[in-house]
This record gives sequence, C-alpha cells and structure tokens, in this order.
Amino acid sequence: MTDMRRRDVLRYSAAGAVTAATTLFGVQALASPNSAREPEKAAPNDPRDFDETYKGKKIKGKHNIGGKDELHINNQKLALTVISTLFVPEDGSEPYVAMAYISAINHYDPVEIDDSKNKGGLKKLAQKVIDMLGDLELSNEAAQAHSH
Amino acid sequence: MAVVRKNIAAMTSAEKTAFINALWQLKTGSANGRNYNWYIDQHITYFARTNDNISHAHQSPSFFPWHREYLRLLELDLQTVSGNPAVFIPYWDWTGWASPFTADFLGAITNGSVSSGNFSPSWSWTMYRSSIATNFLQRRVGQNASRPTAAQVNTVQSYTVYDQSPWNASVSNSYRNRNEIELHNRVHNYVGGHMATREAPNDPVFWLHHCNIDRLWWQWQNSRGIDTYQPRTGFTAGVIDNNETMHPFGAGRTPSAVRDITPLGYSYA
Repeated sequence: MTDMRRRDVLRYSAAGAVTAATTLFGVQALASPNSAREPEKAAPNDPRDFDETYKGKKIKGKHNIGGKDELHINNQKLALTVISTLFVPEDGSEPYVAMAYISAINHYDPVEIDDSKNKGGLKKLAQKVIDMLGDLELSNEAAQAHSH
Repeated sequence: MAVVRKNIAAMTSAEKTAFINALWQLKTGSANGRNYNWYIDQHITYFARTNDNISHAHQSPSFFPWHREYLRLLELDLQTVSGNPAVFIPYWDWTGWASPFTADFLGAITNGSVSSGNFSPSWSWTMYRSSIATNFLQRRVGQNASRPTAAQVNTVQSYTVYDQSPWNASVSNSYRNRNEIELHNRVHNYVGGHMATREAPNDPVFWLHHCNIDRLWWQWQNSRGIDTYQPRTGFTAGVIDNNETMHPFGAGRTPSAVRDITPLGYSYA
C-alpha cells in the first residue's frame, strides 16, 4: 500500500466510528515493521501538514505513518495521545464515536482527527491550544508522552 | 470523625477559611507522608495507562471509585495537617448560583493569571509540573465551554447501566462515561486554564468539582444500588475489576471497598 493510499484509508473509510478505529489499528499493525527500521518516517508532502503563524505563535504540524503525528508551538513539542472517544454535540445532534487527539493542555477536550468530516484536526488542535495558552507558552512538561 | 460535606453555598466563612488554610498547610508542609504536590503527581501518573496496562483513574470504569479514594485521602491529610478533624471537602454544584471564585475563598480572578490574593504565588501557591510555562495558576472561566444545566445532569443521572465493554471513553450506554464526558470533562473545560490540563489538581477547585461528581455518583448509587460497580469479577483486560486494588492506593483499596461512603467517614448534605 502506498503512503497516499494509507492516508486515504484513514481519511475516507470512517463511515462509522468502529470502522475508523479498526482501520487505524490495522494501519498501525501494517506500518510497524517499517517503523522499526525507519522510526517516525514522515509521509512526504502530506497535504495536511502545516508550518505557519496563528495569533503570533508559530505552529508546525506533521502527519506521520502509524498515527504518531507531531505538533510544535513556538518550537515547543506538545505530546499527543490518540483516543477513541464519544462525542456528544451540544446542538443536540446524534452522539458519535471518533478517534481524537488529547494532550496535556486539552486533556478533557478531545479534538477529532482528520477524517471525512474534519480534515484539519491537527491544525484545529494547534489553534485550540494557543487559544487556551493566551499569552503564555508550553513548558517542557507538555512534551512528556503518555498512553491511554 | 465523620464529616458532612456541604455545598459551597451553605458554608460559613469560618469553614471556608479552615478549608483553604488546610490546603495551604499541605502545600507548604506535609501530613501522613504526603504533601499537596504528591496529589498532582498521582493525577498525572494515573491519568495515563500505567505499566500494568490498566487505566486506573480516567476513561475507565474505576473513574468514580479512584477519585472517591483520592478525595478521601486528601480530606484525611487536610484534617491531619491542620489538626482539625472537622475539615471537609465542600462540593461545587455548578448548576447553582454559588461560585467558588471569590476573594475570600478560591480567589476572584477568573480570566488569566491568579496574580494576587488566595492561591497566588504571593500566597505561596505556585504551579507544580505545569504544562503551561508559568508559576501562576491560570483560569479562563466560561471561555471554552459552558456549565452543565440541571436538566443535563438529570439526563446523565438517568442512565441505568453503570458501564460496559469496551470500558473506555467510547462507550455510549454507560452512566460512568456519560458523566465523565458530559459533566466531568465539561466542567474541567468550563473553568479552563490549569483545570483543563493533565495537572488539573494545581487548581483547588479540582476538589470541589470532583466532590460534586462523587456526590452525583452517590445519588445514582442510592437510586440504582450501592453495589453496582462493573466489571464485577475476573480479570477484564485493561481495567480495574470490582475486587482489584486501585493504584497508587494501598492493598485492598478496591472499587468494592469504597462503594459505600458511610465507612469512609463522610456524608453529603
């Protein structure tokens, strides 16, 4: 499977949440032998990657094979954790399950990962974190990873 | 000594002072081998899936009993450090009118750095293991989320199944997960700042919020059954079963051991 096709599976197969979760884990399993030899190999020219400025802060997002996406804010790393979680929309529409990012900063407020409904998950996360930081910066604690 | 945990709206000014002074004493001293920052360490460690491959504190069925034991331990340490066995953790019913963010209680600044008064650095309250680069407690009340309404609380309380497979953040028909996401998470986000982070117990309102969550679980137990924790027995992968010890608490501190609050030495008014 090419890199592009892997991403397409991630992005477009999420007809249902369970499918999305299964697909993600499936891709991770597929990718793991490669990632052992080439750790954190980036998908070249992923159209979702960004390196820009938001509210005066530099945001840099990179989508990697196997789901280990990376985010830096003013060159400080924010460790990301991917969880499968229930979303209960405040507008009263039907709850749904999706894969989402949490981090030390948005620990109780998961941001949905790119899929057919939301193709800018990592950037949306970056913007949310900056809105939460205000004038402040991430500390080194924010780079400490953990699993769920 | 058994204590009655009160609504903040019903606290006397002496009770408020006793509570915040005990927090200050635990932050600047220690009791029973623990200090305030020990609690922040445990929250950060046990939020994650630990090396026993179990989610002890969040996004798992033991969310309620883990925090019940966590609060009981803090209440004990506050009583010990202050030498006042009447100190109790009050609850913040966020559907009501009373706010904990006042100058005589948890501090009145709700938009940015708590730079003066109670729980500011000049009051000896500095941040520990903060993922935000600051020594000042941060709050952004109401900027990122709204408070749950009484009607929304009632809807969550009406779920009859305690929890079920896959026992995580994705389960839909689960009182535990509905409460954790729709009430618990939302209020963390409503307060914002440090309350929205992994190191949330840096903000003392953490305890008032979780006290209310514990009270809601106790009300639910009184309506659905006190001995209703799931999963009951066996060795369900990745989660705490009814008779399994919750870390970092001592041997025997299981969901079953904390199901009834009366032997734990407190009740709710």
